[in-house]
Amino acid sequence: MNFWQRTLAILHKDLMAEWRTKERLSPMAFFSLLVLLVFNFSFELGGAALHEIGPGVLWSSFVFASLLGLSRSFADERENHSLDALLMAPGDRSAIYLGKMLGNLIFLLAVELICLPFFTLFFNLSPGWFLLPLLGVFFLGSACLSAAGTLFAAMSSNMRLRELLLPLLMLPMILPALISCVEATGLVLDHEWGESLYPHLKMLAVYAIVFIALSLMLFEYAVEE
Amino acid sequence: MLIDDIVLEKASKNFASFVALRAVDLCVQRGQFTLLAGANGAGKSTLLRLAAGVSRPNSGRVLIAGEDPQRNSKARAAIGLLSHHTLLYDDLSAEENLSFFAQLYGLADATQRVEGALQEVGLLEHRRRRLRGFSRGMRQRLALARATLHQPAVLLLDEPFTGLDQPACAALSQRLLQVKERGQTCMMVTHRVGEAAALADRLVVLRRGRICHDQQWQGSSQELVDTCAPFLGAIH
Repeated sequence: MNFWQRTLAILHKDLMAEWRTKERLSPMAFFSLLVLLVFNFSFELGGAALHEIGPGVLWSSFVFASLLGLSRSFADERENHSLDALLMAPGDRSAIYLGKMLGNLIFLLAVELICLPFFTLFFNLSPGWFLLPLLGVFFLGSACLSAAGTLFAAMSSNMRLRELLLPLLMLPMILPALISCVEATGLVLDHEWGESLYPHLKMLAVYAIVFIALSLMLFEYAVEE
Repeated sequence: MLIDDIVLEKASKNFASFVALRAVDLCVQRGQFTLLAGANGAGKSTLLRLAAGVSRPNSGRVLIAGEDPQRNSKARAAIGLLSHHTLLYDDLSAEENLSFFAQLYGLADATQRVEGALQEVGLLEHRRRRLRGFSRGMRQRLALARATLHQPAVLLLDEPFTGLDQPACAALSQRLLQVKERGQTCMMVTHRVGEAAALADRLVVLRRGRICHDQQWQGSSQELVDTCAPFLGAIH
């Protein structure tokens, strides 16, 4: 069995377990929608405010939702110590990271797609083709959050204060990517998806690739006790 | 020629300032059933985790069938681990759990193997049930099926009798006897040494991270308990 087959086997297992329990997706989506709703009532989010705080509100809700999901991503492995069985299986152990990371990416993208219609509704956006580049920003931003978050979730999964440690480890590390996500989303909402958007997308793609490559190398050491 | 399946050479393991294992040397020959006894905190489970390749020694080395399980994935494929934790997923069915591990081990005839393993542990009729609804005994039987699904040359057992009632213990002992008769190398950690008398060919006792007693074993359950008693204090 090659690396990709192992990765897909782990991804399939995670998706199947989530399909049955909805333990991650439901709280993540609920939390994100709640944040959007609260901000909608706190500010007049149409018009000028949309461009001022809209992207920040949106990405804040995604980041905190991702923390909820990431903190659960190794819970199944912890419950019956099944991470030991994964580590004992033959083949490259970084396939465990990639399978988990792809699972987290899918859950986060699903939450973003659920939230997008509500965001357009709350922020008085008229749906249109301009939302397509926004999906690109969502994808790259989610890849950054999942790449970094999965590694830190693995590192903190065996620790007593894991719920506290995960955000403390992850938030400072994702800050550069998060700033680019907010900037890029603001540009898309301003219908500026030319020259000014490209550097942010490039930055997100480089961040995701670098973090995935680093995590593939470090994962084996990160999960050791 | 006798072949050593499990070799620990001056293997040490620390957890911060706590030294769990101190330069342990141990060779377990192919086909041997070794009982690893010791009081709580003696380093038994740590030794087993090193042998399983789940944990890495701070110094010294561990070899399974001549290879380092940390570096050589084929060496890992030769190991099966049965612990008091099932290492299974509660939200998957019995069949899905075994199929997942069959995939990870790249077993060619996965469907037949899974079916055979479920049949062997008497869980074929519960194949589609999720683990969450299983009793402790059923879980442990499925865990044994998982640990032996890829027919490992080396089977490591960490307190496999924990939480099982007497009939379930007897059934598990019976299954382990079959494993032994197939010539698989086994190393078992247990506090319930009496249960292991019929299985063990060798007794190794650990105390404070060091081997303090090592002998070939052939005797009754009571003799085994009596032999271990001075090293362990009050035992089952």
